Amino acid sequence: MPMDLMTFMSQLNDALVAENGPNLAYLLRPTSPHGKDLMKEFRNPTRPMFKRYEGSMQSPWDEIAIQYVLVCGHIAKRRPGEAFKEHSQLVSLFLRFFTENRGWTLPALFSVLRDLRDLAFDADHHAKYNGQRSECMEDAARTIAKAFGNCMTDRTSPPDQSRKWGIYYVVGLVLKCYFRVKRISLSKNVLRALDANTDIPPLSAYPRSHQVTYRYYLGMLSFLNEEYAKSEQELTLAFYHCHIEAHSNQERILTYLIPLRILKGHLPSEELMRRFPILDELYAPFIAAIRVGDIATYDRALESRERRLVELNLWLTLEKARELCLRGLFRRVWVATNKSTRIPILMFHSSLKISGVDVVEAEAECLVANMIYKGFMRGYISHEKQMVVLAQTNAFPRLADRQTPFAMT
Amino acid sequence: MSTTASSSSKVTESTSKAGEQKPEATQRLGVLEEDDEFEEFAVADWDDSQTDLAHLGGAAPGAAKSGGDKLWEDNWDDDDIEDEFSTQLRNELAKTNKGGDAMEH
Repeated sequence: MPMDLMTFMSQLNDALVAENGPNLAYLLRPTSPHGKDLMKEFRNPTRPMFKRYEGSMQSPWDEIAIQYVLVCGHIAKRRPGEAFKEHSQLVSLFLRFFTENRGWTLPALFSVLRDLRDLAFDADHHAKYNGQRSECMEDAARTIAKAFGNCMTDRTSPPDQSRKWGIYYVVGLVLKCYFRVKRISLSKNVLRALDANTDIPPLSAYPRSHQVTYRYYLGMLSFLNEEYAKSEQELTLAFYHCHIEAHSNQERILTYLIPLRILKGHLPSEELMRRFPILDELYAPFIAAIRVGDIATYDRALESRERRLVELNLWLTLEKARELCLRGLFRRVWVATNKSTRIPILMFHSSLKISGVDVVEAEAECLVANMIYKGFMRGYISHEKQMVVLAQTNAFPRLADRQTPFAMT
Repeated sequence: MSTTASSSSKVTESTSKAGEQKPEATQRLGVLEEDDEFEEFAVADWDDSQTDLAHLGGAAPGAAKSGGDKLWEDNWDDDDIEDEFSTQLRNELAKTNKGGDAMEH
């Protein structure tokens, strides 16, 4: 028998009495089967129709139930903007209840916030398609940030039942909204609030899905701020703790992690690249070129992939990694001289010329000087004799041993 | 709910998303989009055996091959690459040496 509103309300009530969070989440989800059932009872629900239901449940649940029917009605009639508005109202009412309750409510919180974000996405998408302005995602971000505050400020629940167990999931959702609307600088407020509160369980105590999502966004923020060491650290943890079947998430993490690890002197193995064909297609020429110091191939790859790399904010990093390829080229000069400690600058100049890099000798000298300065080569230049004098031992230190692999100058 | 975002909204912490997402994944093959999003996980928690930590055998994540992590190579310097470039390089070296001798006379 299709569910009617009275039954729906009594099921909500059962879930509340039993403190059954997952069931509450299920009941509030517009995509659950009873959402359709209720549309049979109310073909075109409007608020005045529900007057008689007010007060039939403990507040704010009577209103929440009514909001739920309104949301389902708008979704059924394909009015995403209205659906978002009514669902925002539902979330506000829910937050009133949430702040007075413990962590058992978190599954329901996560669910209504996720739906809020999805509805905002649909509403903005729909508006844009019709040439209208719509800022639902910004609105959603504000509401979700408020929910974050409501998780943070739980000072009464016992530790294992605290609303604080919702913090990282909700932060992940807020950051996802900010990234979507490209208002990344707003993330600072949330992260600052997190840092300022020392009374939060350690990240490692949270479910892995919360940890990985949080670390992914933290890693991305650091990447965009050019804090590469931090970014590499967060993305590495995100990757290794990610579920291996969440392939596109792993791929997303690696898109940024691979170039950072290359800078660090760690090339992705064939085994790793085989698992991610899209990334292999993007990065294979760079990696192959670095292996053999093939600067011409490297430059061609930079050129042919320029647009894509710029779109992904990766161009700067790959341009920076060109130094590793140049180091490989100069190392080959050294090997060709049987690892001589004295190599004429002319030889380095020739190696560039053979590679199709057309520079004058003075510039070749400058490139060598730069390599020495950055610790890729150990030695000095005798400008007078136009000679590069290399260290007896460890003239080309292992890239993985460099102290400051991410230094930008 | 329209189809654009419902893919993620339908994914609950207990149900699988494999069925719904396949067509989208195929369309996307070969393209990394700036707008792609980090997806909602199908389950909330999992243990080491379902992650890449499982293959590490106790090594630190990202330690690279010399540290026991086979996903990354940290030592690829090769002294024995034989290709067209090596030959050209040696020819240049021979010329340079001759040139150097000539100048000294």
